[in-house]
Amino acid sequence: MNLTNASSAEPRVDALAGLKVLDLSWVVAGPLVGRALADFGAEVVRIESSVRVETARLMQPFHGGRQDKEGSALFGNCNAGKLGLTLDLKSAEGQQVVRDLVGWADVVVESFSPGQLRKWGLDYETLRADKPDLVMLSTSIAGQDGPWSKLAGFGNVGSSLSGFQHLVGYQDRLPMGTFGPYTDYVGPRLALVTLLAALENRRRTGEGAYIDVAQVEAGIFFLSPQVAHYGFDGTIAERHGNRDAQAAPHGVFPARSVEGAERFVVISVRDRAEWQALARAIGREDLAERDDLATADGRRAMEDELEQVISAWTAERSATAVEEALQLLGVPAHAAVTSDDYPHEPQLAHRGHLVELPHPTHGRTFVEGPRYRLSETPGAPRRAAPALGQDNEVVLRDLLGYDEARIDALREGGILR
Amino acid sequence: MLEHLRVLDLTDERGLLCGRLLADLGADVVQVEPLGGSPGRQAPPLAGDVSLYWETFAAGKRGVSADLADESSVARLRALAGVADIVITSWPRAQVEALGLDPVAVHAENPEAVYTIISAFGWDGPKAEYADTDLVVWAAGGPLAPHRDGDLPPLRISVPQAYLHAASDAAAGALLAVLARAQVGRGQVVDVSAQASIGVATLARVLATAVGDDHPEWQTTPGRPSGGRTDQSGSGAATPNSLKKWHCRDGMVELHLSMGPAAGAFTNNLFAWIAEEGGVGEPISSWDWRVVPDKLVSGELSHDQLDEARAAVRAFLLGKTKAEVLEAAIRRRLLCMAIFDMSDLAQSPHLAHRDFWVDVDLPGAREPVAIPGRFAQVLGPEGPRARGRAPMVGEHDDIVAKEWLGEQ
Repeated sequence: MNLTNASSAEPRVDALAGLKVLDLSWVVAGPLVGRALADFGAEVVRIESSVRVETARLMQPFHGGRQDKEGSALFGNCNAGKLGLTLDLKSAEGQQVVRDLVGWADVVVESFSPGQLRKWGLDYETLRADKPDLVMLSTSIAGQDGPWSKLAGFGNVGSSLSGFQHLVGYQDRLPMGTFGPYTDYVGPRLALVTLLAALENRRRTGEGAYIDVAQVEAGIFFLSPQVAHYGFDGTIAERHGNRDAQAAPHGVFPARSVEGAERFVVISVRDRAEWQALARAIGREDLAERDDLATADGRRAMEDELEQVISAWTAERSATAVEEALQLLGVPAHAAVTSDDYPHEPQLAHRGHLVELPHPTHGRTFVEGPRYRLSETPGAPRRAAPALGQDNEVVLRDLLGYDEARIDALREGGILR
Repeated sequence: MLEHLRVLDLTDERGLLCGRLLADLGADVVQVEPLGGSPGRQAPPLAGDVSLYWETFAAGKRGVSADLADESSVARLRALAGVADIVITSWPRAQVEALGLDPVAVHAENPEAVYTIISAFGWDGPKAEYADTDLVVWAAGGPLAPHRDGDLPPLRISVPQAYLHAASDAAAGALLAVLARAQVGRGQVVDVSAQASIGVATLARVLATAVGDDHPEWQTTPGRPSGGRTDQSGSGAATPNSLKKWHCRDGMVELHLSMGPAAGAFTNNLFAWIAEEGGVGEPISSWDWRVVPDKLVSGELSHDQLDEARAAVRAFLLGKTKAEVLEAAIRRRLLCMAIFDMSDLAQSPHLAHRDFWVDVDLPGAREPVAIPGRFAQVLGPEGPRARGRAPMVGEHDDIVAKEWLGEQ
């Protein structure tokens, strides 16, 4: 089926054509917002310091496995399509450049410690005096006010305070916590929704907005049912390995290793029909017919034993073979996709999710594509993330109209570092 | 901010959150349920027969019911889609096509509609028909495989997450299409795959092989024989779990002993606190953790000494409560955090100060229950907030027919 809603072959426009964004944020949560805007046609200028190198540039994975500030795929994924300007924000001259960029921009995104921008006279109250239709987003761990607002922190602090650290792991072991700073993956999604709503409101009314997103609150929002459960009857949600409140069996099973690397496959059984299909697939007709295993509660009562039986079967097969065999029978199953699999995973490849971009240092690089496929105004990363200071000239000369003498003075004054 | 938008919500538990976000932002969101009620009403966690999942993520929507076996009832849904700004669905593709509520059918009547699809794998492609659960998507999208607790199999989050990411992305995608509509004059299809949505929840680990990094699991302690790279992040993203969890008097604490130029100062602050209370002596109390990696590599510090430092931290934290740790983290700038459970959240003075909660009525509850009510705070236009409780089946059948279709 063709999803297009176009009446003719007219030239495509970008959803956010003409939108100008100043991105003062760093690491993951803030930069992902600007990345999404850039994918859909906004012009995004990302400010960095080349002296205090942004943390994401020091984080894995790296091109060729070598730790280098121009080689981080994490930085690349969060900043593709942006123009890069290096600036000493502590200097008065650097702050003036920012003020000029605010004059240029429609949207400002920042993730400084709450209160920092006020010290520089770059806070929303000050900036909106000259630009009442400014839309500004601040993203932080705990928000701009309140007793926790002074918390230093990264996303792992957010995942502890929002309840996620407690909710991953086996019941009889230490809480494992999430993979990486989990609220960094939640906060930007809710921030983007709010920012786009503010842009729609500005389009219609001309009114600006200031948006304060706290990673902790975003994380808790994703646990709304669990917090409400506590409020309803005092139940405190607990971790339970890979087991599930409804499906059983429900787990992660060993598959045949690939070139010495352990591989795994997941299987979840939602009803009796799926259970019977699974039991027959693994050659256990006897289990398929047992009345005591007809219900999830019955299967849960002997989940340890069933997991062993399933594991013995999966361990002799490739994860993909298990996935395909069970999916043919309508049983939810999938290989646990590794980074080795990711570039070739058929469904992601079908969507073109991994995007190859030319890269000045590495020849080419890869980033994820947009997470929403729009049929008429599709987004895409336009270029690789900027090298440090890559677009200093372009931004100062072409966007701000500075003359050469002024740019030279900034350079010689050590402001563009 | 979205008061001018009408949203027809044809989702089950997979896509339920998308409409909640748009409703919080002001849109008129009408949740459609089959006569017997949405399967989302059975989504855990359950208290008796009340789904807290449904009650929270359908909050603030209006509800209409439809007999999907009855043509006139389905025609009513098509009429509602005909006047909607946004249609959202996470129903199976075969079902929406059979009902004439698929993108082509909706656009034939209403070319300005933004048709938003939330599914496990996407609208089309080799796995579009796969049987799916949260665990299946979590495995397929990347976050599962690298998350190991020692030699045990990979672990998921015990609270299903995959579709929440996808539903949030769908709300953003829908609003991108609303903004585009102002330029191109018509709607379009927004296709969100939960599998693709969660790649970003791996801290770019899914890109490792593509960019040629075959050892993204970092060497965690500098100077050990097999590595060379050190985890110099503030979050300890590449440090094993057992080195980041500590027992305290009333629970657990998350703490990564960060080292190196970017984040070592936080650990200096921690040892200053411990030393003040007599919990550690020289020379460890005056180490500069910003240069600890260099000293481990040069041999000036030994790994036995590092273990001594860890032992001092362990003994010290055993005497502290979660509240004391959090208070010290704020006052002294420590990357040290209490691991909260749902009861800690409910009692948080910070969240109360920020007016984070909104009380809603829940079926069977004697008093209103606090649910997360503000996913962002906004100055200027009215920001997002929970607009009320979830609807009952068919609660707004008549008023929606009147307001949307002009029926009396």
